[in-house]
Amino acid sequence: MLAYTLVGGLLFGLYFGLVALGLNLVFGVMRLVNLAHGDFLMLGAFAAYWAYQLFGLTPVSALAAEVVIFSALGLALYYAVVPRLLASSDPEMLSFILFFGLSQALQALAVIAFGNNPRSIPATVFGRAPVRILGQAFPAAWMVSGVVSVALVLFVYLYLYHSRLGRATRAVMSSREEAMVSGIDVHRVSAAALGVGLMLAAMAGAFSPFMLGSIEPGMGTAVTTVSFTVTVIGTLGEPLGTVLGGLVYGMSLMLMESYLSSWANLLPYLLLIAIMLVRPAGLLARRARYA
Amino acid sequence: MMRQKGLAGCVAIAALALIGLGPAAWAADAPAVLKLGTLYAGSGAFAVPSTSEHEGLKFWVDQVNAAGGTYVKALGRKVRLRLIAYNDRSSTTTAAPLYNQLITQDKVDILVSDFGSVLTSVAVPIAQTHKMLLFDPTGTGAALFSPDNPYVVLCSLPTSAIWPYALADFLKKFEPVRRVALLYATNDFTGSQAATLRERLRGSRVELVYDQGVATNTSNYAVLLHNVEAARPDAVIEFGYANNDIAFLQGLQASGLKFKMVFAIFPGQLFSLLRKNVSEAGLAYTYTYPTPPLLAYNKVNYGPGLEAFLREYRQKRGEDANFLTVAGYNTGLVIGKTLATADKLDQLALRRAVEQFSGKLFTLDGLFKVDRSGAQVGELLPVGQFLPSGNGVKMQVVFPFALATGKPVYPAP
Repeated sequence: MLAYTLVGGLLFGLYFGLVALGLNLVFGVMRLVNLAHGDFLMLGAFAAYWAYQLFGLTPVSALAAEVVIFSALGLALYYAVVPRLLASSDPEMLSFILFFGLSQALQALAVIAFGNNPRSIPATVFGRAPVRILGQAFPAAWMVSGVVSVALVLFVYLYLYHSRLGRATRAVMSSREEAMVSGIDVHRVSAAALGVGLMLAAMAGAFSPFMLGSIEPGMGTAVTTVSFTVTVIGTLGEPLGTVLGGLVYGMSLMLMESYLSSWANLLPYLLLIAIMLVRPAGLLARRARYA
Repeated sequence: MMRQKGLAGCVAIAALALIGLGPAAWAADAPAVLKLGTLYAGSGAFAVPSTSEHEGLKFWVDQVNAAGGTYVKALGRKVRLRLIAYNDRSSTTTAAPLYNQLITQDKVDILVSDFGSVLTSVAVPIAQTHKMLLFDPTGTGAALFSPDNPYVVLCSLPTSAIWPYALADFLKKFEPVRRVALLYATNDFTGSQAATLRERLRGSRVELVYDQGVATNTSNYAVLLHNVEAARPDAVIEFGYANNDIAFLQGLQASGLKFKMVFAIFPGQLFSLLRKNVSEAGLAYTYTYPTPPLLAYNKVNYGPGLEAFLREYRQKRGEDANFLTVAGYNTGLVIGKTLATADKLDQLALRRAVEQFSGKLFTLDGLFKVDRSGAQVGELLPVGQFLPSGNGVKMQVVFPFALATGKPVYPAP
């Protein structure tokens, strides 16, 4: 049972890392808390669902379309609201209110568009035979989800550390003002980050029917809570720390479900409290230097 | 003398008014419509069953109004109904003030709670405080009913504490089952079923080898299923709401695990929803409590039979009714019968009227019978099993043996 729990925890951890990665990237670049993050994941989940229903596409095949749609949505959303938000006296606080409103609006629109019925993509879409690891059988969808998560984390790493736009993104994450002074087009970088953030959320959503259960319009709120927990564990504003946060969360969740299942849903809150008490800046936080 | 004559005249007029003209005068002052207040969940965890149930109640109100109203014995005539409904979004904190609003602001004549035990739990104390009879369609949690509260009547399902009676008896009498795993969501609805099953299996030859509660919003059962498998049960009983059952059965399919017997509640109540999410293959050989429309009660002495109702609902609404639609409609029938029986329109008179026809009323949902606490004890849910049939599945009742339409297929292939 322990072997199953640990391998399952690893696969779920990778997935939760992907779920929260976009949220942390957006926060790192813009210092805005996207409370609608889970709702974009929900939209990505519905996009994958309809791609399967209408065209018979598996969630992996639907990813290409999601990249285009949600990147464009992120760019549009950035230029529509973020520059005004950043110009306000307290953008972080206002971002809470604005994105909370957006979250509620997306949920209401999704109810109108899709109804309340929970929907699923058959778990057998990636094959009927489970995958065996350490003598334990795991659903094939978990493996695919784990592999896609690793690939997307690698993509974000290459984007941030091996591309010109990524280097500019890190500069903005370090100091928006200094980046601006050094000639970086901060708006272009931030818009790209929001585009990538929403794209990652939507791609995580494509696998949510297998990892989080049936999809329905109200699922985003819980997803945002989990994403926030994972982000805080892995350090706010440190996108790759999110992977560590995801692994800690995934392992803890599986251990709780195995040995204390009645309490498993308390986990996000318990972990948040614990990290706040023990290491408030997150596991990967660098020590602050005061000149 | 004249004065005495005058007094006698006044008394005579008063007596005439009370005996003969009284009801007519009362009827003249009576409201033109009766207000029926309820809540429904337009979104959130209970949206699917709640909206179905609400549609059933609405259908009954529309039907009654199309026929000129429902007969109200206390007024001696038919009265039309006005349905006032608010959206509680599956939230008890939203529901509580809305129930209050229905009673104190809208001043409804009849109060009906939302779907299920969770959303009914906040209505029960509010109704009791305001001395308002609560017609409860499907809030079956045992804790909702007590003999000292006359202000609640469960209409369309038995109290959840007695749901597993037939299931427990089946497990005890079905020879191949000796080791049972019990997995349940920790809410009043499924918690009380788990408690009943545990109690009724105690001391029998059947051993509970796994007994675990999970949060009601659990959406991933993969690890739990492996824990269950480690206990090597002959039967797995999963008690949850529809979302739990979907997640459980999906997880089972994805895991590749096979159990000899699997039981879940909602395949028998929300068949089409479960079929869409789990597929026919995922439901094949699953055991459940079959309810209308999967189960038809032949003895009906009030309202339409199941077939007639299903046909008319399809015709007028353009979609198929599920069990929760039947439950909402049946609640309307119970309200109609109450109004047709009660001599007065005060809330305790309505409750007394319910007692008068309790045990004698047979509707498309079976026998309506309540105990002293208002809990429904008339219907006993049998145990059924889905079997493959053509491209789909069909339901067969397997227990009680007297009602059985077939033998259980065990172990599941």
